[in-house]
Amino acid sequence: MSSALNETDVARPLVTLGALFAAFLKVSMYGFGGPIVWARRIIVEERGWLGDAEFADILSFCQFLPGPNVVSVTVCIGAKFRGPAGALAALAGFILIPWTVGFVLGGLLLSYAQAPLLQGILRGIAAVAAGLIIATGIRLLLPHRSRPVALVFTALAFIGLAILRLHLLIVVLALVPVSIALARPPHVPAR
Amino acid sequence: MKPSVSLVTQIALLAIISFGGVPGVLPDLREFVVNANGWLTDRDFANCFAIVQAVPGPNMILMMSFIGWQVGGFPVAVASALVTFVPPCALAYTAFGFWDRFRDAAWQQRVRRGLAPVTIGLIVAGGYVMARTGSGWVSLAVTAAAVALMLATRINPLLLVAAGGALGAAGAL
Repeated sequence: MSSALNETDVARPLVTLGALFAAFLKVSMYGFGGPIVWARRIIVEERGWLGDAEFADILSFCQFLPGPNVVSVTVCIGAKFRGPAGALAALAGFILIPWTVGFVLGGLLLSYAQAPLLQGILRGIAAVAAGLIIATGIRLLLPHRSRPVALVFTALAFIGLAILRLHLLIVVLALVPVSIALARPPHVPAR
Repeated sequence: MKPSVSLVTQIALLAIISFGGVPGVLPDLREFVVNANGWLTDRDFANCFAIVQAVPGPNMILMMSFIGWQVGGFPVAVASALVTFVPPCALAYTAFGFWDRFRDAAWQQRVRRGLAPVTIGLIVAGGYVMARTGSGWVSLAVTAAAVALMLATRINPLLLVAAGGALGAAGAL
């Protein structure tokens, strides 16, 4: 992903508030399990609003902000095209209708959650969903695979949270400063 | 403190420290609602997680909504949703202006390369902890198969979710 950052950005198309609302409504309604996949497909390939490089840049920024990543991506892309109004339009598209639909459908499923058949189905889905999260993490790690230091910090974060069961904040505060201090810029800056 | 206030406060706190995405704080949230307070069982928590994968919409915001709903009804569901995304969105909006201005600076590339490995470790840990709440070796095998298929093929994740549901319906897990 980082190697793509130097590509030339596409010319900035005219994107209306309604188009932002509609695009992120679609991302959210399609985005079972892996909304990032759909965000890229719809924003980059289908609408052509951003190049892969710009999308990757925004995504990597949002990856280390707190909160739901795709929602941050939504806000940033909206803001990039239309400022505060764009951020709100994209966010409204992403949240309002999909949250209502998901809450009603999910609420119905939850009230039948004790039925053995549904229990079985949910166990199967949960096992797959855990796998989707792990695979997403591994995918994100691939651009860093040639950097042993990066792999060590990924392993330490995993061990701290999953095996030692340390508090998230402790893991973040202990590892992030050291990880940034040890990271080299991709090339020596000219200045 | 009332359970609803305590829960919403906890979700707000976890959301604002959820670097790398909300799945990274699910182990902490589970500890709080299942072990520390006993509001939900382990099974309830896993049900919430599974259901939000099976419906459209913003998964993690819906997950917080369903936990809130089970603790304090619809108003707590809405409050839980709002605290999950409003403060992080305000932060994202503010920070993005600054970030976009310095996108080519060396310090920014360095921060990005230092932070990414840690956040990735947290994401994988979130998936691992969810896999561990499953029931036994078959469940772990299904998780492992999902990981392998996602990495090795361009299969639509929806098909995997459907296959997992079908295996579960057949009583395999």
